[in-house]
Amino acid sequence: MSLFDKYAPLQARVDVMMKIGKDALGVQFDDIISTTRGRIGNREILLAGTNNYLGLTFDEDCMSAAKNAVDNHGTGTTGSRIANGTYSEHIDLEKALADHLGMPSCIVFTTGYQTNLSAISGLAGDKDVVFMDADAHACIIDGTRLTGASTIRFRHNNPEDLDKRLRRQGEIEGGNALVVIEGLYSMFGDVAPIDEFVDVTHRHGGYLFIDEAHSYGVFGPTGCGLAEEQGVLDKVDFISGTFSKSLASVGGFCASRHPEFEILRKVMRPYMFTASATPANICAALAAVEKVKHGADLRANLKVRSEQLHKGLSDMQYDLCAEASPVIAVRRPNEAVAAMEWNALIEDGVYVNLAVPPGTPQSSSLLRISLSAAHTEEDINIILKAFNDLKDKQGSLMAEMGAKLQA
Amino acid sequence: MPTRNEVYDKICELLEPYNPKNRPIEMSSGIMSDLEVDSTAVFDIIMGLEDHYDISIPMEMVSDIKTVGELTSAIIQLTSE
Repeated sequence: MSLFDKYAPLQARVDVMMKIGKDALGVQFDDIISTTRGRIGNREILLAGTNNYLGLTFDEDCMSAAKNAVDNHGTGTTGSRIANGTYSEHIDLEKALADHLGMPSCIVFTTGYQTNLSAISGLAGDKDVVFMDADAHACIIDGTRLTGASTIRFRHNNPEDLDKRLRRQGEIEGGNALVVIEGLYSMFGDVAPIDEFVDVTHRHGGYLFIDEAHSYGVFGPTGCGLAEEQGVLDKVDFISGTFSKSLASVGGFCASRHPEFEILRKVMRPYMFTASATPANICAALAAVEKVKHGADLRANLKVRSEQLHKGLSDMQYDLCAEASPVIAVRRPNEAVAAMEWNALIEDGVYVNLAVPPGTPQSSSLLRISLSAAHTEEDINIILKAFNDLKDKQGSLMAEMGAKLQA
Repeated sequence: MPTRNEVYDKICELLEPYNPKNRPIEMSSGIMSDLEVDSTAVFDIIMGLEDHYDISIPMEMVSDIKTVGELTSAIIQLTSE
């Protein structure tokens, strides 16, 4: 038996996908032309699955900030934050984010994944209990795995269910409850009732941690996220986010209303034992924070485009997973059909994400779209036409898929 | 306290929506390996068992459970505590 035999069922799924067409989970873009356009071979592709919510990756100020950072401080830090990897840029960004969120403490990390891995594993100790939304992202799940804390899942976006499980748990001897939710959920695009979670969590004496990776920059009057939008930002204990979506860079942050959070810098292994983010990444994110704070026009356009696309797809009778938001997921009957349609969309010049179990809730197979403030009305019409074409050629597509799978 | 057969029957009931190929569910069946239930679905089944028996089954305990029989034993242990 080989070391790789355990992956035979997964390999079989990959083989099916490759019979159907391209590797949807390993697409190579030959060129990125703009925020909303890429190129594969000779084909220009409309990008509708990049999480580039505010469209800042080609913003002149963000690009200049990154270029200047390379000129001033080089290409990499060659060290972790606890060694030689803390530059003035890291501190400036931490101050800017703390100020934006109105919190006394903020720590930046090298990636978004590492952010939740670090913060959750650092916050939860052996005697604490983590209560995690059932649809939590892999980095939250993996963060709990690095702790000695017990972890209990509660039903997705259901404060009453959390209340029941906190009551069932009873008093946590020598420890605390840490409740972990997200703002905007990345797969279905549904939003959390954060105000209700604040109420339930604090009624039980717990701490509330919100991952606003997909909602920072997108929601709230100043772009702080859904907690700000719902008027409870000052009541949330911890807010994490990423630089690789609205902030158009790479990295992440966790902020807290508890100044004692700073001690976590001496505890979090994924923070202590990895190189810090490059000056270019940090300075691009710092420039983008300013854009977020004054980005009401970007958020307004993103909302209009989201509603335009959601209505168009609904009118075509597509099964959508949530109300209109910058993430719009189209539920398909199974993985093979979703893969076949994903290939048809790419051939039609539209890139979306193929999302399949176990990375999706309810074992769903999805064509997942994420929109950008840089998308125009015409861009949305192009996406809608591509999905309309899918409907029109459904019969021939399924026949082609059947033939490919039997070949 | 439920009997082993009662717990087994409840697990089979909760597994049913995730077993479209109607694979036989034995005590020795690997939940993920034999029945091909994905990790997300396993945790949905766990939440159903937690609610039915009014117990907490922490995720770290679930990661050690591979078979239907092991899950049955865990439920019986937790309901007896």
